[in-house]
Amino acid sequence: MIGYTIRRILQAIPTLLGVTVISFFLMHIVPGNPVRILLGNRYTPERAALLSKQLGLNKPVWVQYFVWLGNILHGNFGYSYVYNKPVVSLILQALPHTLIIVVVAVMLAHIFAVFLGSVQAYFENSPFDQIVTVINYFFYAMPAFWLGILLIIFFAIDIPLFPSGGITNPTVTHPSFGDFAIHLVLPVVTLMLISVAGWARFMRSSMREALLQDYVRTARMKGAREFRIIFVHALRNSILPLITLLGLSLPGLLAGALFVEEIFNYPGMGLLYWNALNDRDFPILLAVTVFLGIVTVIGNLLADLIYSLVDPRIQYR
Amino acid sequence: MVSISLYMGCLFSQGFFVIVFAVYFPPRQDAKEPIGVCPVSNVLEVENLNVEFNMDGKYYHAVRDVSFYIEPGEVLGLVGESGCGKSVTSLALVRLLTKTARISGSVRYNGRDLLTLSDSQMRQIRGDEISMIFQEPMTSLNPVYKIGSQISETLLLHRNISAREAFAQSVEMLKKVGIPRPDDIMDEYPHQLSGGMRQRIMIAIAMACNPQLLIADEPTTALDVTIQAQILELMKGIGSEFGTSTLLITHDLGVVAEMCNRVAVMYAGEVVEQGKVDDIFYNPQHPYTRGLLNAIPKIDAESKSRLQPIEGNVPSITRMPRACRFAPRCVHVMDRCKVEPPPLFETDDEHVARCWLNEVKEA
Repeated sequence: MIGYTIRRILQAIPTLLGVTVISFFLMHIVPGNPVRILLGNRYTPERAALLSKQLGLNKPVWVQYFVWLGNILHGNFGYSYVYNKPVVSLILQALPHTLIIVVVAVMLAHIFAVFLGSVQAYFENSPFDQIVTVINYFFYAMPAFWLGILLIIFFAIDIPLFPSGGITNPTVTHPSFGDFAIHLVLPVVTLMLISVAGWARFMRSSMREALLQDYVRTARMKGAREFRIIFVHALRNSILPLITLLGLSLPGLLAGALFVEEIFNYPGMGLLYWNALNDRDFPILLAVTVFLGIVTVIGNLLADLIYSLVDPRIQYR
Repeated sequence: MVSISLYMGCLFSQGFFVIVFAVYFPPRQDAKEPIGVCPVSNVLEVENLNVEFNMDGKYYHAVRDVSFYIEPGEVLGLVGESGCGKSVTSLALVRLLTKTARISGSVRYNGRDLLTLSDSQMRQIRGDEISMIFQEPMTSLNPVYKIGSQISETLLLHRNISAREAFAQSVEMLKKVGIPRPDDIMDEYPHQLSGGMRQRIMIAIAMACNPQLLIADEPTTALDVTIQAQILELMKGIGSEFGTSTLLITHDLGVVAEMCNRVAVMYAGEVVEQGKVDDIFYNPQHPYTRGLLNAIPKIDAESKSRLQPIEGNVPSITRMPRACRFAPRCVHVMDRCKVEPPPLFETDDEHVARCWLNEVKEA
């Protein structure tokens, strides 16, 4: 298993190199000159040339790429053009905020999806199943930003239950844990609702298949209760595809958090990326992209490793 | 407005969810019904069992008017071609058919009609008093749980014992079904075992609570011939050791000759002949039984003689002959067979056949 993990990490290196190439050149194709944005109305051609030289933007793109690649291989992701701070420290500042919404949302979404999907599969084609299916499609089709705005309109403005954005109440100097928690509610719910829908569909079909298996009949023959049959015998078998899906959806969720953070003005990776994109702050954009690439690789690896824990038939050598 | 309807939708679905859940998972009823003391000697008495399946809004009989009984310690063979309703019958007895099946008649187990019991009463019987082993040992065990936990599960469901005791008893069961290294096997997963071993595990699970009745649905069909013999030997030994009655479902007349005291022959959802093994093999009364026996290769037959198959096919469930179901394939078919369904005629002591030919004999 350890050998397998090491091999997988080594295999990830060419993938990640590919990610750096594509993201670097894409970034430079995007219209909009960072120098122009940085200088704003102080712009003169002389100042622009000077700043370009300082930032290393006057060299050919491929030279810039290798300089940047050399730097990140030494752990140096550069300085943000706008904030003039090391990119790594900016990311480390934002990452915990994003992790907390994504992890909480993923966990809740998984629990809901597994539960809903299982019960739907058990009562297949019942009114319950059909109503949940309709609701699922409703959220599945809904973009995160629109759902977020709806939730703000309804739960922050019409009925002011939750704050509409930020991480703490700005008027309080020493925010309590409850203050943090209440600011999490709407972003987490938004992110959760859009992922529950798809996962519940997966869970439903996977559970439906599991319930038809012979070992379920054996469990019934033993005199097990239906609850036990669904949530002990069939569940552990039917949850396998969902684990793969979880690994694959991790980077997608981080990216999905981009819109959610932007809407809720939540200072995580998404908002950092969003602002950097508007400012053409290349070092941040590149670092976040590479980071997402790493997360993708780790997510897949984690999914495969968890898979072997749940299914004894799978062993990695 | 959209947001309000969204919210109402969530509330409604949640409430609905709770209600549905409460209805389908009612609180456990622990009180065991006292078993009525009836002066019955038979472990199982099946009377006029009918199973119908709904296909495109119409009900079709998969099993029609099946009656048989099993005495304590006896092995009854249920024989027939694939699709004749053997497995449906066995699943109907323990109520494991899908809810779309309509079951009628009576299945009296020690005097209690299984078809009228509540679901929770039926659950208490399954695995404890009546057990079942299936045709497919490769898929009948749950792939993600250890053998040990799958055997002790039955014990934990029905006996008020600790997990440790259940584990110890499971190891004992494994020894009884002839598993080598039982302590190691307890910690292994089904995929690490061969088909024969898995069927032994299934037998261990079925026998863990010392049931009175074991239903074995083609237990050796999926196994190699040598393993088949071992498993049959094991079932015989365990059955007599525990005093279990067995309903053995098979299409293999060799298995019947080896294992059974009495036989019921099924054709197209009906029992066509029933009697002691010797009577069925040496004095078959129904043309279908005779046809089955003629279709077995015999070792002492002349090398040039050919097997005699029964001409034609089993009729499909939607196009059953109205009277005798075997009439279209029968060599002795008479006009009467096509209009009047034959009843079961008693031909011998404990020997019945569903054929008009036997009425002639009776008269």
